[in-house]
Amino acid sequence: MYVAVKGGEQAIANAHRWLADRRRGERETPELGVAQVEQQLRLAVSRVMAEASLYDPELAALAIKQASGDMVEAVFLLRAYRTTLPRLAETLPLDTSAMRIERRISATYKDIPGGQVLGPTYDYTHRLLDFLQLANAEVEAPAAAEEPLADCPQVLELLDAEGVIEREEDDGAEPYDITRDPPDFPVDRATRLQMLARGDEGYLLALGYSTQRGYGRNHPFAGEIRLGTVEVEIAVDEHESPICIGEIEISECQMINQFGGSRETAPQFTRGYGLAFGHNERKTMAMALVDRALRAEELGETASGPAQQAEFVLAHADSVEAAGFVSHLKLPHYVDFQSELELLRRLRREHAQRAEAAGPKTRSDDSSVPVTGADTDACHTTPSDPVKEQQA
Amino acid sequence: MTASEPTASGYNFAYLDEQTKRMIRRGLLKAVAIPGYQVPFGGREMPMPYGWGTGGMQLTASVLGQDDVLKVIDQGADDTTNAVSIRAFFERVAGVTTTTATGEADVIQTRHRIPEQPLRQGQILVFQVPIPEPLRFIEPSEEETRLMHALEEYGVMHVKLYEDIARHGHIATTYAYPVKVDGRYVTDPSPIPKFDNPKLHMSEALMLFGAGREKRLYAIPPYTRVESLDFEDHPFEVQEWDAPCALCGARDTFLDEVITDDRGGRMFVCSDTDYCQSRTEEVA
Amino acid sequence: MRWNAFDTPVHDSQRVYRQLLSAMAEPGTFAEVDGAPVPPSDAAIGTACWATLLTLCDLDTRVWLAPELDAAGLGEALAFHTGALRAQCPADADFALVTPATLEGSAEREAPGFCEGSDTYPDRSTTLVVVLDRLNSDGPWALSGPGIPGVRRLDPGEGGEALMTRLAANRSRFPLGLDAILTCDGRLAAVPRSTRITRVEEVDACMSP
Repeated sequence: MYVAVKGGEQAIANAHRWLADRRRGERETPELGVAQVEQQLRLAVSRVMAEASLYDPELAALAIKQASGDMVEAVFLLRAYRTTLPRLAETLPLDTSAMRIERRISATYKDIPGGQVLGPTYDYTHRLLDFLQLANAEVEAPAAAEEPLADCPQVLELLDAEGVIEREEDDGAEPYDITRDPPDFPVDRATRLQMLARGDEGYLLALGYSTQRGYGRNHPFAGEIRLGTVEVEIAVDEHESPICIGEIEISECQMINQFGGSRETAPQFTRGYGLAFGHNERKTMAMALVDRALRAEELGETASGPAQQAEFVLAHADSVEAAGFVSHLKLPHYVDFQSELELLRRLRREHAQRAEAAGPKTRSDDSSVPVTGADTDACHTTPSDPVKEQQA
Repeated sequence: MTASEPTASGYNFAYLDEQTKRMIRRGLLKAVAIPGYQVPFGGREMPMPYGWGTGGMQLTASVLGQDDVLKVIDQGADDTTNAVSIRAFFERVAGVTTTTATGEADVIQTRHRIPEQPLRQGQILVFQVPIPEPLRFIEPSEEETRLMHALEEYGVMHVKLYEDIARHGHIATTYAYPVKVDGRYVTDPSPIPKFDNPKLHMSEALMLFGAGREKRLYAIPPYTRVESLDFEDHPFEVQEWDAPCALCGARDTFLDEVITDDRGGRMFVCSDTDYCQSRTEEVA
Repeated sequence: MRWNAFDTPVHDSQRVYRQLLSAMAEPGTFAEVDGAPVPPSDAAIGTACWATLLTLCDLDTRVWLAPELDAAGLGEALAFHTGALRAQCPADADFALVTPATLEGSAEREAPGFCEGSDTYPDRSTTLVVVLDRLNSDGPWALSGPGIPGVRRLDPGEGGEALMTRLAANRSRFPLGLDAILTCDGRLAAVPRSTRITRVEEVDACMSP
């Protein structure tokens, strides 16, 4: 006799145990340390911190280890942890002009004050597998410059001085906080940037790429990309000047895009902006492209490409939300499925009856529905009109 | 009933911090005051994936007290994996007593069903909602649907339902069947089968709906008029079955189809496992 | 501080919240708040009112206090215990602490204009927390609508006319409106904007041939 399945609890516990075993892998191989992940998978750590909206390299590394390297899962782990943290203070805006630069390049001028600084980049590596790393070869210490870096003013500031690029000024408005309040579409640029900053890199990359291929083209130039550390400061009541509470590594991309302008205002270049925790160059470039695309309406452009549709872009950018809702399809849907199945069988039955009534049987896929009576079609619908009964 | 381990250390009672609970609690009061209206709330990440009941869990966490008895069901059953997981979560973070008996529960969190046993006054039924906006599949823009609710412009919904009739001869919506609450807001009852829609009408229990990913919550107070949308020539109708439940013999419940072999064998049993079991025990 | 907070804030506020939720869901039912701190003897509000404020207010809420209720240091106590901000004007208030007389206004003072929300966001409205001298059933006011099987009766005491007239006006503006939490000493009830309110005499008059 049929008995309803029991024992979900035990099954879940066993699944977790098996998962832990798989995560550990063969016991002869030394266990991966969180410090190893933090030090040696730095770009993975950066991505997880950026999309989780939490700057904590050690916990990001832990999340990566715990997630067996599944980045979306790691982002989720760190984000869920972030939610439980109390908010102790609010920092002042970061001053990226005062960044201690590790890397800084511009595609707009051959030479710039402070110079082009390549820094630690994969850009010019030949993508050949380095089999020496299979044997854990020694790595040389990096070459160090004798002179410290000269000041590196922001390239876009130089253009700004000439007036050829739109000026961006802090209007002093309190920014909306997407971590506490639900987005209320349409949203302003500060809100959009917050949502893009935690958006999935792959998603932003594809959208940014689409603008380059004509779906909302905006003629970008990489005005400046910089990577380095900036001080994080808070204002404290008793102190006149802000207090530095530490340094974080961030990546910033400022795109220069083709001009706007009208009869009233002289033509000017426009801007797209990208910022992310850690070393996240591709992400910030994609973010800057999408930011600029989302400014279509504000700049009087026709919004024709997907990357220009704010609600579409922003509502689907978060990998935690997206992965959750896609994965929920794995949950049981017996009830909904049964409801659909019942209707489908009924529609097919009626369709077959109509086909039969219409005349000699012709060859048709639909008429081959197994209409075999109550055994297979135990369920049918009866008009019972409950609403009207209840109203009575 | 099972008494549980004490609350997990390092987290507040019922996981959420008090400020988040207050935000949700204030939202729920507004939701109750405007039946069927979707209140935006600052939904938080939960330690479970979006789409797996995070909205329902945030609501449960905000209303749950240490003396409450909690029941969690998914597809009507207490022992489906997601129900087990959510129940274990609240045992761990709130230390509450849990039950599978519908009548013994103060708070019931559910996905996709309303229990067969009529709920009583004082009980709270918390629904997990994936897409709270009943107009979403007709109009994807939130800006637009918000305006449609404001103007009470629901013609498109009737057009959509009528297109089904024109094409199939029936309304093709079988679950998440839209309702009108207290004659004003068209509301998504969550993906319950339309079989359960009549239970929304003049329910004795308070019904709360939480959509975590979409960051919306809404409510249907007890004793509230809830009508399923329909047409005079195509009145709302619910599923009925020819055969009774193969286990308990019930004729008035929603039945799950169970495939018993690979030769077309199948049977129908109650989707509400607690109801079915209590009836089976009565008979025995 | 003569105003005390809850003994065990997490559980006490949860218990009071459930009473509030139940009151709002079933207009015209009453709850007795017990185990909540008693306001000082010279305060103008009772236990249920203070417990409501402690339960619902925090840094994210703006509260407007009717001048006649801001006695015995209530304003400071509220800021101290909850961090709630004082609303500059009634229309900015998430919660407004009032008496029926406050709603009426007078020759010297206009009736305060609270926020009723907007068509697109009717939830962004002021919730009234009303301090009453009496709160019973069997009053002249008949309540019906969501949360009410049939009809419930309400007696909001002195000045009830002004209060109930104001709340009855919600109906024509729905979904805009003001929701009210009613308090009297340790007792609380609620009348949300969805409630239909009539004077019983009027009902009788309508029903007579």
